[in-house]
Amino acid sequence: MILGENVLELKHISKTFPGVVALNNVDMSVRSGEVHALLGENGAGKSTLIKILSGYHQPDKGGEMFIAGKPVLFRSPKDAIAASISTIYQELTLCPNMTVAENLVLDKQDLFKGFTLRKKDFQDIAAEALKNLGQSEIDPNWLVKDLSIAQQQVVEIAKAVTSKAKIVLMDEPTSSISQSDATKLMDIVRCLKADGVAIIYISHRLHEIGDIADRITVLRDGELVGTVNNSDVTESDLINMMVGRELKNVYPKRDVPIGDVVLKVENLASGELLKGISFDVHKGEILGIGGLVGSRRTEMLETLFGMRPITDGKIILNGEEFHPKSPRDSIKQRIAYVTEDRKKTGLVACLPVYENINMVNVQKPAPLGFLNWSKLKDVANGHRKTLNIRVSRIEQIVGSLSGGNQQKVALAKWLDFAPEVILFDEPTRGIDIGAKTEIYSIMGELAAHGTAIIMVSSELPELISVADRIVVMQEGRMKGIVTKGEMTQERVMSLATRKNQQPTQISCEGI
Amino acid sequence: MQSTAETARTTKTTIRKLVIQYRTLLILVVLMIVFSLLKPVFINPSNLLSILKNMSYVLIAGLGMTFIITLGGLDLSVGSTAAVVGVGFAMLIRGGLLAAIPAMLIVMVVAMSLGLLNGVVSVKGKIEPFLVTLATMNIFRGLALTLTRGKPVPIVIPYFADLFGNGRLFNIIPSPVIISLILLLVSWFLFNHTKFGFYVRSIGGNQEASRVAGIDISRIKIAAYTMSGFFAFVSGLILAALMNSGLPDAGRDLALDSISGVILGGTAISGGVGSIWGTLGGCLIMASLNNGMSLLGAQYHVQILVKGLVIILAVLMDNALKSRQK
Repeated sequence: MILGENVLELKHISKTFPGVVALNNVDMSVRSGEVHALLGENGAGKSTLIKILSGYHQPDKGGEMFIAGKPVLFRSPKDAIAASISTIYQELTLCPNMTVAENLVLDKQDLFKGFTLRKKDFQDIAAEALKNLGQSEIDPNWLVKDLSIAQQQVVEIAKAVTSKAKIVLMDEPTSSISQSDATKLMDIVRCLKADGVAIIYISHRLHEIGDIADRITVLRDGELVGTVNNSDVTESDLINMMVGRELKNVYPKRDVPIGDVVLKVENLASGELLKGISFDVHKGEILGIGGLVGSRRTEMLETLFGMRPITDGKIILNGEEFHPKSPRDSIKQRIAYVTEDRKKTGLVACLPVYENINMVNVQKPAPLGFLNWSKLKDVANGHRKTLNIRVSRIEQIVGSLSGGNQQKVALAKWLDFAPEVILFDEPTRGIDIGAKTEIYSIMGELAAHGTAIIMVSSELPELISVADRIVVMQEGRMKGIVTKGEMTQERVMSLATRKNQQPTQISCEGI
Repeated sequence: MQSTAETARTTKTTIRKLVIQYRTLLILVVLMIVFSLLKPVFINPSNLLSILKNMSYVLIAGLGMTFIITLGGLDLSVGSTAAVVGVGFAMLIRGGLLAAIPAMLIVMVVAMSLGLLNGVVSVKGKIEPFLVTLATMNIFRGLALTLTRGKPVPIVIPYFADLFGNGRLFNIIPSPVIISLILLLVSWFLFNHTKFGFYVRSIGGNQEASRVAGIDISRIKIAAYTMSGFFAFVSGLILAALMNSGLPDAGRDLALDSISGVILGGTAISGGVGSIWGTLGGCLIMASLNNGMSLLGAQYHVQILVKGLVIILAVLMDNALKSRQK
């Protein structure tokens, strides 16, 4: 394999949807054995480009695609796969109730002759592919639903590798895995690269792209901003390219006077999941919660919010013991919870923006339960202005908004009852830098008004820049509290990882 | 050039949106035109009123069903509840045992309790409402049959039949039509302008998000099934009044007919999206089909065959329109 040869070329690719130009005249080329990062804010056209490359969308007339110099036209995802393009989507597409091996061979049934399943062959293929990726600890006979998200991702990659993909598209592969799993993933990507596979890599995490990418193509509003060599640019150059303006400070930090203790947790436990959690949070403070995925930070927030039983210890709110049995109890005590999974627990996707914003408001007492929607629409419009929620109409269905705007709607519903404590779970996951900065400034605003904030985040730079103190958790236990002065990524990581759990170096044997 | 192409495209999408929004009405209008052309008597006011009268009890059960389906549930037991109401009422007033009003109140409480039972069992027992109401559909029917030993019980109060069955307001509008229209307006108000209606839509759209927002999911679900029991009660009264007796076999098709009307009206079987006007339209489509085909001389077995086909076609059309919208 000759490195540096163009395996994929796009010329004048445009894509128009009714009323929207999603991509406008984009050129791009990808070489074999390179990691080519695709950057841009949400709505910049990355997903559309990925969908064109994977055959879901067809480009407008005039656009051309070449694979290894030959013009191609994908009418369906099947054509793209046949042209040796594999896509690893953000939302994984494995069958949870099948084994790893079965999932790996699902798209390769043509290889096997005969009527009966050849389970032994499946297992051999799977075991070899996993070994080649340095992931022998995953047993081909395990059910996919028992794997962690990071492990499922490995299976997706193994699936791509075994189908002899020459171009692998990865759409935000690290958005839902921990830092150490992300490091492992990076190593796997390097293995693929060493084997001459071209990787198109989408991520919002700039430091990751800085680590792994050879070249970077930046899109903005459907237009190509440019393709640059990673070695020639800094993170702030990239941000400027993406946003098109100077973003002086990604984390607008406010100096807020820290007040009295609002919420105190003493030796809190919930069954076997959580044990011995003790901390307090003050008025105007942003308390970060760090830890790896699986450290049960979400479970801790759910316990505070009355969604899990408290089996030991206590919660003290404004000096009085508080034992929530349901979210209703917590809401009555003016605690709010902006959940991690917007689609699952944060929003009702099929309802319009204004109804979602008023989800909590409507519970206020009203004569005969009558709702005055025109007044509630005004309330929603107020939030739309102050939070800069970008929608064409307040009646728009929430499911059709971008991640950042959805997050603002999910947050807006809590603001009218003046919460004393707000729990945020991964508040900026999957949203672009512009919206992130806005979310941080809303948090700063809330803190300035004396709200106590507890924020779970897997992004260390975010945690360190936004939080006043960080509670670090590991497997449902508290490992320590890091104060402002001693905050470094290394300090948090060393508390979050067990000594024998250090990310191991992966060898690329066999590839 | 491009701007005209763009205008044409936006006009096209606007038309598509309108078609999607008013699809139920569209089907109904087409049906009515076709039947009127084939059989002009179809469009006579007296025939239209008889369509409204014949569909009244299905529409009433369908109103309750709209809440239940929007909530993400299902109530198969409404027909059996209606039968319990009819025979219960007939038996309570037989031989002057009770006056009509107290008897009516008792069967209303019974019907609502049966609905409450559906709700409580499915919420507290964490059982799919389909399974719970499949079971109670049989249990309530068994109850009606056992009480009467399978025989009809005549209703002896003449004004009852007038009030709920064959009487007419101003000698024109059949009383079941009046009752169903009043309940239609009440349901529309509940569905669109009260907390209860909003909770129903938000729980059906996303139960977990509603729980996190502090909505009392169990209470709303139980209330909705209880309400469905109430609608089944009114439905049952009308059925009994039309027959002038309590029939243990009454309402055999009520659950499925009302579900069909709700689905034809664009309420999503997956929950979250529903429409009271849609249910009216859906029930009108079913009733017009029945009536039109009868006028054309089609027999019952042809009628149900066509009814089934119409449901499949309507849902297919729905999906086709919606997927193109994406």
